[in-house]
Amino acid sequence: MSESNVVGQWVPATGAGDIVTGAARYCPDIDLPGLLTGKLLYSPHARARIRKLDVSAARQIPGVFAVLTQADIPGENNYLYSQADQPLLAIDEVRFQGDAVAAVAALDEATADAALRAIQVEYEVLDGIFDPLVAMKAGADQLVEGEDNIIMNQVYRTGEVEAALASADVIVENTYRTQWAEHAFLETEGGVALVDEEGVVTVYSSCQAPHRDRMQIARTLAMPESMVRVITPYIGGAFGGKDEAHVQMHAALLAVAAGRPVRLIRGRRESILTHVKRHPIIIHCITAATREGRLLAVKARAIADAGPYHNATHEVMNKFGEFIGGPYSVQNLEVETIAVRTNNPIGGAFRGFGAPQAAFVYESQMDDLARKLEIDPLELRLLNGVETGTKMYTGVVVREGQAMKASLRKAAEKIGWEKRDQCERQPAPHLRRGWGMATILKGSGMGRGLGDHAGVVLEMHRDGSVVLLSGAADMGQGIITILAQMAADRLGVPMSSVRAVRADTSRTPDAGSSCASRQCMVSGNAVLAAANSIRDSLLSVAAGKTKISRDRLDLRDGRLQVDSEPHALTIEELARRALFWGYPLHAESKYHFEYPADVPAGDYRFSQEVFQFCTQIAQVLVDVETGQVTVERLIAVHDAGKMINPGGVYGQIEGGCAQGIGYALTEELIVNEGRTLNPSLENYVIPMALDIPEMEMDVLEIPEPVGAPLGAKGIAESPIIPTAPAIRNAILDAIGKPLYQLPMSAERVLTALDG
Amino acid sequence: MADRDIQMNVNGLALKVNSGPGRTLLSALREDLGLIGAKDGCSQGDCGACVVLLDGQAVNSCMVLAPQAQGRDILTVEGLAENGVLHPLQRAFGETWAFQCGFCTPGMLMSCYALLSSNDEPSREEILTAISGNFCRCTGYQAVVKAVQQAAAEIRASSSGDGEQGRAPA
Repeated sequence: MSESNVVGQWVPATGAGDIVTGAARYCPDIDLPGLLTGKLLYSPHARARIRKLDVSAARQIPGVFAVLTQADIPGENNYLYSQADQPLLAIDEVRFQGDAVAAVAALDEATADAALRAIQVEYEVLDGIFDPLVAMKAGADQLVEGEDNIIMNQVYRTGEVEAALASADVIVENTYRTQWAEHAFLETEGGVALVDEEGVVTVYSSCQAPHRDRMQIARTLAMPESMVRVITPYIGGAFGGKDEAHVQMHAALLAVAAGRPVRLIRGRRESILTHVKRHPIIIHCITAATREGRLLAVKARAIADAGPYHNATHEVMNKFGEFIGGPYSVQNLEVETIAVRTNNPIGGAFRGFGAPQAAFVYESQMDDLARKLEIDPLELRLLNGVETGTKMYTGVVVREGQAMKASLRKAAEKIGWEKRDQCERQPAPHLRRGWGMATILKGSGMGRGLGDHAGVVLEMHRDGSVVLLSGAADMGQGIITILAQMAADRLGVPMSSVRAVRADTSRTPDAGSSCASRQCMVSGNAVLAAANSIRDSLLSVAAGKTKISRDRLDLRDGRLQVDSEPHALTIEELARRALFWGYPLHAESKYHFEYPADVPAGDYRFSQEVFQFCTQIAQVLVDVETGQVTVERLIAVHDAGKMINPGGVYGQIEGGCAQGIGYALTEELIVNEGRTLNPSLENYVIPMALDIPEMEMDVLEIPEPVGAPLGAKGIAESPIIPTAPAIRNAILDAIGKPLYQLPMSAERVLTALDG
Repeated sequence: MADRDIQMNVNGLALKVNSGPGRTLLSALREDLGLIGAKDGCSQGDCGACVVLLDGQAVNSCMVLAPQAQGRDILTVEGLAENGVLHPLQRAFGETWAFQCGFCTPGMLMSCYALLSSNDEPSREEILTAISGNFCRCTGYQAVVKAVQQAAAEIRASSSGDGEQGRAPA
């Protein structure tokens, strides 16, 4: 079969025309007759008891249509990502600065603000719990009375760790600290709710998981899910921060109470103060090796600050533990993952689910080990890297692992690793140059023991035009574009013939959350199955009409192809004939990713099985007088399996690298006794156009053999993961001093230089 | 304080908006005129999602009070295409994947359009400087550089020939 003219092509994103003309509607752009402004009143305290909450004055203000407290919620008053422990509106205590205590809906913003000001809350401020190391001690003040502050304590062991440590020639042992990091999606969280003419509560939701939103909204309203509809309009980024619901339930409650549509959008400050953050984790790690550099054992203990509620802490820390050994064939591994409740911001999902923190540790350990052994960091990694067929420390056998070493070699070649010492290491008296690498793996998919499935509906009409209905939320990552490409490819029609509908629970089947780099694989496979079934009808009609055997027929460029040559019969003609004779051109499919039925004894729970491998190499310049680090070059070599759309893949890599540079050097939410001190884009410092180098990107296209549609395996999470440790290792190379804390601010670099 | 009418030329049309105290140009455009292309990403001039042109200058419209626009020319992203034909910048942004979520795009496009108005062959550095106030969290900036250079080349080619294609910036 000849090469596809749709799949693998740099096709503009579905909706690009609306985006560049300003016509694309995101939640804040949705307007409706009678639309009210919704707002939430948040706690000013990290921990306090609510002694009195009086909303009567707010309710009297003209133009205020609804004022709600926890007493006004008809159904369940909580979020439900994992455990139902976070109230939508505080009950008798506030447990972090982002807890909401009341919700209002009013004619306009000024009136809504006036209503918030008129709400009287009397707080009894309590001593907060802010230090996870204190909070985890026996007898510590309990955040939830009668419950341990430790909400997770999981140990995974494989092999003989202590014996391996005892027999090692060399040991590297360090303690690492990571920070609270903010998603900073450009569109803040929002929801617009209305009750339609059939009584269906309809919510436009800026989210990653529309069907889970529907479930959550229904249980909050105490309504059947059949009476709730969630629509995703254009979504302005998410990165894990919109995986759990945010204000959708509040908007729905207000719309029902007010009897009018309500638009509730968080302001930037509210957004930063309230939604989940990348967990700060304190990690103690021991890495042991032979004098030749062969890894013998890894032993790690990680303590995460979870904030007051579970949210995605278990999922994040599970992934931390799953990847703490890195892409290496270490056989003796012990990892203890602990998460502790505090009155700090909530830890949750953020691109990579704990893998970025783990990579900062294992890749820093590798360079410290390389220095100790006087082995080149590239050689050390090549010596220990996994390959196809390697049984990982998790028990999972790597099905396709060529990219581990291939990405290392390619990245080294691109930067000229062998010749780096020919570059000037001290271009000025106060400047030091250095090079550092990091190589990682990250799984795609939900993981063993978890449901990982997606449905899709595809329909071809008599004119050959196609509608694709997928419930996969497109937050900008381009999932509906690549699904449409796959459908167009199988059906032989141009992209312009496929209309991909943005997720809408009343029309599109459940595809689960757009998280864990999973939709390309899972929804992609569902699309292929549905498209193949329609293709089957078209080819049956074609075979009947032409009397040519099926194996000589194909569909491409809007026409039937016979022996790869265009035939007079168009797809339109085939579709018309198929519908006339009653062949189905409507297909629904549900794809389940096949994990083993049971996780084998001794294996890591929830392991992913399809891996994105990648290597990044940074060249940095450190100003030893100011501590300022400049990333001069960043090489990024990634494996995505087959690229369905290179534009999207390169976009994911470039964006991930930019986020990674921020995570490495400047991004840190400063939290003091539960109060976030820098809740703005001015003071939470994210690299802008002039702060980052030109990324030198390359993509390996090594097709994944199992479970990956057309060989594609997802790319979304991996780009952010190696950047921080690559930069850390480059700083180490430049100044000869290791750093163990993120971000590597100028201040910390200076401290390291003094040490 | 009584509200008053502000007259301004928006995308070539003389339009009136209502202005109360504290009313920003961004809110006047979005709420009175339904021009929802410019976005509110931070409300304080940090992100550039609300950039429009005020007398040809790229400004954060969340930091401009509506009365400051009295009698002046405003160009928003909705005014870039002419008779349904996309400006070369708009087309290039789509073709090069210069965005993913697209929330930054209207502001980014206007910053780039302002640059091309005074510089028909901008360097990488000049483009990065022009968009240094436009925050993109999904993609970063080099795809934007590529898009702007592609559009600039197309505009130069069409203005040197007799091409009707694409409208050169003012």
